[in-house]
Amino acid sequence: MENLINELKLKIIDSLNLDGMTPEDIDNDAPLFGDDGLGLDSIDVLELIVLMERNYGIRLDSPSKGKEVFRSVAVMAQYIADNRTK
Amino acid sequence: MTKVYCIGNGLVTPVGSTALEVLQAAREGRSRRLFERGAFYGASFFEEIAIEAAKKATEGIEITPHTGFVLSTTKGDIEHIGKADISLAAGAGRIAGTIGITTSPIVVSNACISGIAALLQGVRMIRSGEYDNVVVVGAEVCSEFIHSGFDCLKALSPEPCRPFDKDRRGLNLGEAAAALVLSAREGPWEISDGVIRNDANHISGPSRTGEGSYKCLRYVLEGINKEDIAFISVHGTATPYNDEMESIALYRAGLSDVPVNALKGNFGHTLGAAGILESIVSMAAFDSGIVLPTKGFHELGVSYPVNVSAKERPAKGKLFIKLLSGFGGVNGAMVFRKGGAL
Amino acid sequence: MKEVSIPSGANLTAIYRELVGDYPKFFKMDTLSKLGFLLSEMLVRDDEGRFTPREDRAVIVFSRNGCLANDINYAKSMEDFPSPALFVYTLPNIVAGEISIRNKYEGETSAYVLDKYDRPLIDAIVRQAFQDRITRDAIVAWIDCPSDSEWTATAWIKTK
Repeated sequence: MENLINELKLKIIDSLNLDGMTPEDIDNDAPLFGDDGLGLDSIDVLELIVLMERNYGIRLDSPSKGKEVFRSVAVMAQYIADNRTK
Repeated sequence: MTKVYCIGNGLVTPVGSTALEVLQAAREGRSRRLFERGAFYGASFFEEIAIEAAKKATEGIEITPHTGFVLSTTKGDIEHIGKADISLAAGAGRIAGTIGITTSPIVVSNACISGIAALLQGVRMIRSGEYDNVVVVGAEVCSEFIHSGFDCLKALSPEPCRPFDKDRRGLNLGEAAAALVLSAREGPWEISDGVIRNDANHISGPSRTGEGSYKCLRYVLEGINKEDIAFISVHGTATPYNDEMESIALYRAGLSDVPVNALKGNFGHTLGAAGILESIVSMAAFDSGIVLPTKGFHELGVSYPVNVSAKERPAKGKLFIKLLSGFGGVNGAMVFRKGGAL
Repeated sequence: MKEVSIPSGANLTAIYRELVGDYPKFFKMDTLSKLGFLLSEMLVRDDEGRFTPREDRAVIVFSRNGCLANDINYAKSMEDFPSPALFVYTLPNIVAGEISIRNKYEGETSAYVLDKYDRPLIDAIVRQAFQDRITRDAIVAWIDCPSDSEWTATAWIKTK
């Protein structure tokens, strides 16, 4: 799980162009959206949906489903571990 | 200030090739969003329909050395990206040249409000006194480029779109070309006002307060009596956020009780053509004494009251307002006033 | 009239770090928007009362190639997984929106495509934009960006 979390953080930083951030800057349990977390927005949600399909073969059909899964990196990693098809 | 009139119009749409045909289809609830491409043979389908609409609109109107040309489109000939010179400027030059225009063509590419923005540009050109008339053409074709984009934004509805309905699930893409000729010479419809305002909030999400759309309405309301508004033809894409935003803007502008309709259930969201196409169809509806129904609408599903026309009803008033909103935070409003030569 | 420009191929991230530094959304922008954003920063960074919402300043952007560089990038992503973050920049007016969001400009924003850098025509269109009853000045830019490494980028403020 630690490996998956670290890999996921790197992919998030890369796909969302979070300039200058390192995996250490992202707390496993911190919210990804809203002002107290990474401050991601609606386009980032859609880009994370693409990230899930491209890397793990997981299809999320709606942004609202995405927002549930993208609560934090830890939640996201658990969802990937449970549902990945590649 | 110089009054600006519409003196000619031209339509190329999948539901009809004149304003009356498209109006009749809308009254009967017939809808169609995409062309059958077989009927066209040229290299650029986009340019062909734009030229066709421009030719129809300028029939019987003299093209002079002072005829201006404004093209409204979001993606032009994007379906040929990597295979041809798809620059909007080159396309506009060919379209304008084909109908004999010799002034420098201007392309307005202002997302989904391009149609209003292009008409407003045309109005301003007439008011500048430097042009005899201005041909404004809006055109869009539905390419894989555009379709895949709206698909990855999760903005497409899997079923026919339902503007302002509680079960709306997104938009349908359409394709069309629509043209208006503007002039200071008196015609049946005057464009008496127009405005563009930005939400200054988000590049793809509509403002939660309807800021730009509200500011547009406030601006055009300065010059008209509310009682004279026959109807407002809203943007009404049928995405959850757009329609919600428009309900807020209408409410803030004190227009919740004015009849409203959305026409995208009839021919889809035609992007760069939408403003001109929907304005022409609205003029034809008013001329027939009616407010068109909103195809796909059954039960109101927005937070603020909106007087959506579910069924056809009589038009009472002297003018209508066309509203649009788009990516980049842009919003536009335009006032079409019946008058002049009848 | 103050006129600013960014040389073709310049290091935009370096200019951003020197000029701004605290607006991470910059890194999500396409090259066209980055250029417009930086040009506007050069023009208005010392404005009094900056970031107070205002409706009297327009943002008008001109080019020949619109958002072609980013169109090409998005078209590449279509071969694999179409990228929503790229698609939202496939419109020539997004750069004007970015400048508005940054500065809280709630006035008119427009994007025009012309066959060439035709300064008299640009000046005429801007003059016509002042027919708006509220607009008092405009940030005007010519940003032609056919690829992510080559461009012409210049901007100025025109007062009514």
